[in-house]
Amino acid sequence: MTRIAMVGAGLSAVSACDALRGGGYDGEIVLLSDEAGPPYDRPPLSKDVLTGSAATRGDIALRPADWYEKQRVELRPGIAVTALRPDEGVLELADGSELTADRIVLATGGTARTLPVPGADDPAVHTLRTWAEAERLRARLVPGARIAVIGAGLIGAETAAVATALGCAVTLIDPVPVPLTAVVGPDIAGALHARHRAEGIDVITGGVERIDRAPGTEEVTVTVGGRPEPVAADTVVVGIGIRPATALAEAAGLTVDNGIVVDVAQRTSHPRVYAVGDVARRSGDPVRHEHWDAARSSGQAAAAGLLGAAPPARSASWFWSDRYGSRLEGVGSMADAEETVVRGDVASGAFTVFGLRASVLIAAAAIDRPKDIKAAQRLIARAVPVRADRLTDPATELRALLRG
Amino acid sequence: MTSTETTSTAHTSVLVAAVGDIAEGEALQVPAERTGHHDTISVFHDDGTYYALDDTCSHGQASLADGWIENGEVECPLHSARFCLRSGEPQCMPATLAARTHRVEVVAGEIWLHPGQEPTS
Ligand SMILES: Cc1cc2nc3c(=O)[nH]c(=O)nc-3n(C[C@H](O)[C@H](O)[C@H](O)COP(=O)(O)OP(=O)(O)OC[C@H]3O[C@@H](n4cnc5c(N)ncnc54)[C@H](O)[C@@H]3O)c2cc1C
Ligand code: FES
Repeated sequence: MTRIAMVGAGLSAVSACDALRGGGYDGEIVLLSDEAGPPYDRPPLSKDVLTGSAATRGDIALRPADWYEKQRVELRPGIAVTALRPDEGVLELADGSELTADRIVLATGGTARTLPVPGADDPAVHTLRTWAEAERLRARLVPGARIAVIGAGLIGAETAAVATALGCAVTLIDPVPVPLTAVVGPDIAGALHARHRAEGIDVITGGVERIDRAPGTEEVTVTVGGRPEPVAADTVVVGIGIRPATALAEAAGLTVDNGIVVDVAQRTSHPRVYAVGDVARRSGDPVRHEHWDAARSSGQAAAAGLLGAAPPARSASWFWSDRYGSRLEGVGSMADAEETVVRGDVASGAFTVFGLRASVLIAAAAIDRPKDIKAAQRLIARAVPVRADRLTDPATELRALLRG
Repeated sequence: MTSTETTSTAHTSVLVAAVGDIAEGEALQVPAERTGHHDTISVFHDDGTYYALDDTCSHGQASLADGWIENGEVECPLHSARFCLRSGEPQCMPATLAARTHRVEVVAGEIWLHPGQEPTS
């Protein structure tokens, strides 16, 4: 194996490069990206980039500028891959050239979903997936600006929180009364959602039906089902998830079903082609894990697979989200829990919910209790039998439970 | 806990705790005022051995003393970069830079930190 080409240069691809070199791979690595400039980290886009505390691309670089040369990773930004011919190992590029590689890693991520309603293509309507989109949105978040955020999941909630802190007048619209309930359970989801109102956000439950602009005005109106008065806004932000970028894989005939389907080593249905990050779904998993940690670990798993090593132990899906100076974290699948118990004081705002099934921990979610989550990750991974009353007892050190 | 500070030729040695004060899997922060070092230094207790690293994660603003300490590593509370407690080297993304290490010595049941000195072995 002398050349590996990665399509897309987000966290999953860079993590694969890092792990390939760490694992002793000495051949060529070509890292192709349709975005301009060196790879950057996405979580800050809805946090420090919007607040302005990360002002340049360098502030959110995934790796230092000299890393690529030092690691002999040939970075080719600003060029899209337009087709894949897996049997030949050929990538067709937007400039008409071709690149041949022994192995290809698809790390194409996804694009922000757009709202399927009239007026969703108005220039006042923003999505947030890339640096370019974040820069465009940041310029709109000025004091007094009326910002309508559609979708109160992770990115919508973070954007609403930042916009409020910057002095914008924010309306947050979601059809679900308490978003994220399935992911983190009702206690945490309820506390999180209540916080928006407490911070002065106008929270509306309902589905958006259309977006209109009176001719010649700067203002748009967002019509929400069941509400007579539309919401007037200067800027609309849509945060309703992503669409995985599977087009290359589909056209090449790879198995695609809610993402590019991969095995434990991130291999697709074609032996030459791997897929990692947001675009990939492990066969057997009901969902794609569109989170930072999954992108990092799938890159590591692909590197192991490419090197013929055993795949690293798989950990339960973990994500975080920051809003109003608080940190939300979730691990595992709360929806599959038979019993949930709380550790800490719900009224204080900092507490953890543990989800158990058949006497082992399978999920946890927490606000501002990072150590509980670290312990939970290990309790889940090691499948140590635990008693609910010990998880809730503040006198019990969670670390002690790990010893069984 | 009493704090004793003595100045040796090149460095200040700081008495940080007695053995038993820092529980297994916990860390103690030693503020910059006590060490003359530019960052807080944290002394980590992993499985009977003490290690010292600069407290601020090389990736961001997190305090490594709040991290998870196990198997000779500390995992950052914010984005879970792992650092080797002995060498300070990052073990995975997102960190790139090593954490600065410092020498820790246990003498007669007391844990001494030697800021700026390389750990022995
Ligand atoms: C605003 C925002 C905030 C987030 N916050 C958090 C958080 O707090 N916590 C958390 O756990 N996760 C968070 N995430 C999720 C996390 O960032 C993603 O899961 C992660 O970035 C996925 O990495 P990836 O490598 O799969 O894809 P991406 O980072 O999307 O990278 C894919 C790259 O491939 C490029 N590409 C696509 N098609 C082609 C082609 N044909 N040719 C060339 N290049 C192509 C794309 O342009 C893109 O640059 C956040 C995401 C966003 C957008
Ligand atoms: S701050 Fe430590 S990993 Fe990001």
